[in-house]
Amino acid sequence: MSGITRLTGRGCGSVCLPIVMILVAAALWELSPRVFKISPYYFPPLSDVLAEGWRIRTIVLDGIVRTVTETLLGFSAGALFGIACGVLFALVRPLERAVFPLFVVSQTVPVVAFGAIVIIWFGNTIFAKVVIAFYLTFFPVTVNTHAGILACDPQKVALMRSFGAGPAAIFWRLRLPSALPTIAVALRLGISLGLIGAIVGEWFGDTVGLGVMLIQAMYTEAVVRLWLIILCCGVVGAGLYGAVAFVERRLVWWRSDA
Amino acid sequence: MGTSPATSDDGQELPVIELVNVWKRFGAGSPSEVVAVSGVDLKIRPGEFITLIGPSGCGKSTLFNMIGGLEPCDDDGSILMRGRVQQDGELLGKVAFMPQKDLLFPWRTVVDNAILALEVEGVPVRQARERARAMLPDFGLAGFGDHYPHQLSGGMRQRVALMRTFLFERELILLDEPFGALDALTRAMMQRWLLDVWAEHRRTVLFITHDIDEAIFLGDRVVVMSARPGTIKCSETIDLPRPRDASIVTSPEFMAIKRRLLGAVEEESLKSFEAARADARRVGA
Repeated sequence: MSGITRLTGRGCGSVCLPIVMILVAAALWELSPRVFKISPYYFPPLSDVLAEGWRIRTIVLDGIVRTVTETLLGFSAGALFGIACGVLFALVRPLERAVFPLFVVSQTVPVVAFGAIVIIWFGNTIFAKVVIAFYLTFFPVTVNTHAGILACDPQKVALMRSFGAGPAAIFWRLRLPSALPTIAVALRLGISLGLIGAIVGEWFGDTVGLGVMLIQAMYTEAVVRLWLIILCCGVVGAGLYGAVAFVERRLVWWRSDA
Repeated sequence: MGTSPATSDDGQELPVIELVNVWKRFGAGSPSEVVAVSGVDLKIRPGEFITLIGPSGCGKSTLFNMIGGLEPCDDDGSILMRGRVQQDGELLGKVAFMPQKDLLFPWRTVVDNAILALEVEGVPVRQARERARAMLPDFGLAGFGDHYPHQLSGGMRQRVALMRTFLFERELILLDEPFGALDALTRAMMQRWLLDVWAEHRRTVLFITHDIDEAIFLGDRVVVMSARPGTIKCSETIDLPRPRDASIVTSPEFMAIKRRLLGAVEEESLKSFEAARADARRVGA
């Protein structure tokens, strides 16, 4: 009972307010081009954008499904790889000193420079986009996993040792769980970067996807469609971020300082 | 003759733990060498409740870490358990160790925090949880088994940590200022409660504190440590009758003991205060 009342009581703060703000933003988007007589070439009203969306809804939906698939695959691979590397670097210090600098250098190369190579290696397949999404995701996850595991309270490690715990027990029961809040922050960052990776990956050539539609709309100066794709990217990005944040709040509800 | 392993040649029960000339020097040989603990000899007999008191920074915690097996003592001394010399790290897993902070894991419930040591020992989780649940009322945590640490008060968190220590069934329990962070009222309550639990679960306890009243109220014997380098200055057997209740702290016997100990402790506190001031001056110059 009390849970329900608390949920609804809190609901109006955390759910209603954002919805109201979104409606206000939508109203501004709709009204400002009309009120200030802005040419639709620069800023079409929302209703035009939505009408365009409805007209080409199947293409848009296909694009969203493709881009989200690429993002999720790249993000998952990047998250797993990043966590594994972060753990390895934290536990095997010589490996950290040898390989970590390479990771940093790899991130200073703009992803666009890698795009062409990735296409040559993997062809015009979905795999090429997944690789670029992966490339953008794994680094922050590696860094945060590494930092999170190293930040483990040495007094807690001492306590575990005094119980006779070996390195494996200390890792699974203490180091990894205490790093989870830090890892979760990187995952939220990673999902947004993964989406950017997928969209940019599509620019190097494909026929389906939000990135493809963005490039096409740009070349044909289809301004309304351009705004439509921007809107879709925003909605997809917010949705993915929200999903990761939701899972995080369920699984990793404690904070690292507690 | 046939001496059992738990008794020495003269028939007396062997001490649970015995420190023989225990030293700890940090950065030995360098000009910045710090002697944290020097020449400590101490015997703790089975079932004894020893309180260790000394000025802050006197090496109490270093001594504790050595008894807990977390740090080796220097080669010229040794730590014996039941008469057997303990090598580096051999004491790990043999002493129930409770540091100053509760160090509860925020992602574990009260019960799951309490069974941490049992899990490490390989006790099946279900069985360990049953044992922990049975102990909850003793530790004033009945009904809180499924709560998380952030939902508990400081005193309750400290009791969870104590329960974790008691569930790790070892002969010797090391408690490092467990009530140091609690307010005076909660602390007095926890002290009486600890004596009850101790009377029931009869273990050997070494308890660090910087509070003289606490040391006398709890201990069979109070051991006073000197300012750094920490060594044992004196020790006094407390023959106040047990069970002890709160009113004992105002009895003339208690006061007499306190007067004797206060002299020794204050002298050492003053020394460590002077040393800290001298250090500060040297750094400032």
